[in-house]
Amino acid sequence: MISQKLQDAIAGVSDKVDVVIAYQQGFDKLHATPCFMTTPEEIKNVIWNPLCVHNLTSYLPSLKKKKVAVLAKGCDSRTILQFIQEGLINRENVTIIGIPCSGVISVNKILQAINHEPVEDVSFDEKGNITVKTSKGEKTFSLQDVCPDKCKTCRFPTPIVYDVLVGDPIESNKTYDDAYADIKEFENKPIEERLKYWEGEFDRCIRCYACRNACPMCVCQDSCIAETRDPHWISQRATLSEKFMFHMIHALHLAGRCVECGECERVCPMNIPVNKLKRKINLDMKELYNYEPGVTPEDKPPMYTFNVDEVTIKEHKI
Amino acid sequence: MPEIASQELRVVGFLCNWCSYGGADTAGVSRFKQPTDLRIIRVPCSGRVDPLFVVKALLNGADGVLVSGCHPRDCHYSDGNFYARRRLEMLKKLLPFLGIEEKRFHYTWVSASEGARWQQTVTDFTKRIHELGPLHAKKEVTP
Amino acid sequence: MAETGFIQKEKLNDFIKELSKDAVVYAPCLEGDTVLFKAFDADKTVCLDRPANNPPKLAIFPQSETLFNFTYIKDTEDPKKMSVEIKANTEFPKAVIFGSRPCDANGFLIYDRVYIDTNTPDPYYMGRREKTTIVTLCCNAPSPGCFCVAVGGGPANNEGSDVLITELEKGYFVEAVTEKGKAVLNAPQVESGASYADEAHKKQLESEKLVKNPFGKDCQPEISMSLFDSDEFWEKYLSKCLSCGACTYLCPTCYCFNITDEQMLNNGERIRSWDGCMFPHFTLEGSGHNPRPTKFKRFRNRVGHKFVYYPEKYNGVIACCGCGRCIRYCPVSVDISEVVSYLRGSQPDVSSGTKENAVTDTVKQEQK
Ligand code: SF4
Ligand code: SF4
Ligand code: SF4
Ligand code: SF4
Ligand code: FES
Repeated sequence: MISQKLQDAIAGVSDKVDVVIAYQQGFDKLHATPCFMTTPEEIKNVIWNPLCVHNLTSYLPSLKKKKVAVLAKGCDSRTILQFIQEGLINRENVTIIGIPCSGVISVNKILQAINHEPVEDVSFDEKGNITVKTSKGEKTFSLQDVCPDKCKTCRFPTPIVYDVLVGDPIESNKTYDDAYADIKEFENKPIEERLKYWEGEFDRCIRCYACRNACPMCVCQDSCIAETRDPHWISQRATLSEKFMFHMIHALHLAGRCVECGECERVCPMNIPVNKLKRKINLDMKELYNYEPGVTPEDKPPMYTFNVDEVTIKEHKI
Repeated sequence: MPEIASQELRVVGFLCNWCSYGGADTAGVSRFKQPTDLRIIRVPCSGRVDPLFVVKALLNGADGVLVSGCHPRDCHYSDGNFYARRRLEMLKKLLPFLGIEEKRFHYTWVSASEGARWQQTVTDFTKRIHELGPLHAKKEVTP
Repeated sequence: MAETGFIQKEKLNDFIKELSKDAVVYAPCLEGDTVLFKAFDADKTVCLDRPANNPPKLAIFPQSETLFNFTYIKDTEDPKKMSVEIKANTEFPKAVIFGSRPCDANGFLIYDRVYIDTNTPDPYYMGRREKTTIVTLCCNAPSPGCFCVAVGGGPANNEGSDVLITELEKGYFVEAVTEKGKAVLNAPQVESGASYADEAHKKQLESEKLVKNPFGKDCQPEISMSLFDSDEFWEKYLSKCLSCGACTYLCPTCYCFNITDEQMLNNGERIRSWDGCMFPHFTLEGSGHNPRPTKFKRFRNRVGHKFVYYPEKYNGVIACCGCGRCIRYCPVSVDISEVVSYLRGSQPDVSSGTKENAVTDTVKQEQK
């Protein structure tokens, strides 16, 4: 069992670190929850299954001074590379336990499919199907149907960077274009429709800032300009323009930095597609500056640098 | 904000202190005729222009935003406009994704001596905004 | 006036429309897969299948409201002199909250003690509260995370509601709880309900049994203050918390607010908006010092407020109605009911602990 291998791998590194960040069972069978382990006795609580959705590497910058071992799926490993590019972690303090991942599950998609009934039991079979039991009976879903959209076009199922790898590497046959097909499609909608779409989505926002706080690259956190009075970017009014502005702050501060882990979108209690704007910017970053966040440690984020002659930028005429 | 009488629209201009603001001044001193829709905000350098300035202006009542700095290689702080160019280009591509016409935003380079070029830029840009019409026709605008 | 009534399933929408004729009706409306309390209109689809993502608190305690507008006026005689003109609005429209759950209605009672039953009642809260009729739908079954029975509530509890509705096979059994509620029964869609009363009450009792009680039999979880005060306990359990505002903003019993002035040149408004103890700015002092600098200190306050400080002040009443929203929507599945059950033990043994262990530990302790 992969859980056993994982527990062994953790046991192997745990005496070299202050804390191990992994997953354990959450409040019901459908939810895993992050756990911070400081003693070997806790290792037996560790679980690994497609419900382990959280990007645990998000906690790393706040633990910069500690020695940390962290579990990382393929997509999560991009976060670590981006941290390295931006000098947000000390690589030598981090032990990465990589896990090749064949896709996780969107809890929201399951909940929608079972009409938000309380879950009694969850099981997985060899083929990667998930069976969910509620008081109304059992339902089985194939992973493809209930995974988050990011997994459908995942190009990095095997961590790009790791110290220990648990399980065999997995290859992906997905291309860059597959990953952005939905963005291109949205771009082709009439402009009025696009505005209406965003207004409708942002209107639901309650500015709980879960999206921001869950984002590994949102490192300002406590000093975020969405909340400060000085500078006073936005007020406490619950109006559409203030909500819109908050999302622009989030998107633009992530320009060329978003590793597309999808945490922002996963955590939103109002189901707002928070990641879409950042993915659009990423698409442009690739076109303009041939840059993709979190794929090599040596790259420089495009907004941190420039070329004197930008061949891809044409001068705009009025 | 009080209703502006006449057919004027709100165009906000972020001008760098060393070149474009000087350029606008030159145009004024030379008494070149210019549209009056533009409200100028002087910034130390185009590198000071956070793309969020532009977004904030557009979301809170502006119908168009113009950013102007020194020509590339002429920035008073040598690199400011190079950074600005990258950011503003990114923004230009993002606006239409949000449903805001990218034509409502323009960035350019005007030096302190180019009074005529400045006059042309303001005139053309204001004309373009008038063609697009107001951005906030029906929407609430919070001050 | 009738005390009970019955509404056929197919007439429910007309009933809501009827209510909206002379009141703003806040009802749980479907948007994509999200259920949100919103001001109802004919374009919206009411969804009663499950509790809404957000509680109905916004109807009486809006996320942001203008307390008053102010204008500075220059004295024409003496330009150095300024006077300020203040305009406050304390007139509120008649409103109905339709489809709140018993826990949601209970939540308003928790607000009432703070905003009304004091010697300085809050005119904004009180104004809206008095104008609002709360029509609550009993729960057939709990949602993931629900634990209302553990904090003195229940899926058919009528405290805080003006009307209680029970879903039956063919329609909805309606009971007036207060005088205000009786008026609702006058709607033309409501027929006589007497013959459905037994069926409804049986159903209410059944649903009661389905809700989990993480605190065991005693509805007053005895919190061990030594554990509550130990930083290690919180640090250990709360390291995963993101310190966002999802739990407080979605909580029907969180009532903290912020007051800010938004000023233009010489006019502006003072607004009151939701705030929450999970935000760092909540306790940030002018000097830059923050007495609750870490997320676990903030969460300790959240638990403390609900399970220690509020009960101390108000005769043991717990300021949590067990709606489970903070559990369901927490990005990292922090479970407040689990934290509180840990807190009942005297050993900070969260490391190897599951909820059951923590409970048995307490039992063992008691047996000794
Ligand atoms: S998580 Fe969702 S509701 Fe909360 S601030 Fe982000 S977008 Fe808004
Ligand atoms: S913006 Fe969203 S997808 Fe991008 S890094 Fe942050 S949480 Fe991940
Ligand atoms: S407990 Fe959960 S919802 Fe509350 S602040 Fe922490 S992460 Fe956010
Ligand atoms: S603390 Fe959580 S369970 Fe209790 S009332 Fe608030 S949201 Fe509901
Ligand atoms: S000073 Fe003009 S662009 Fe930098």
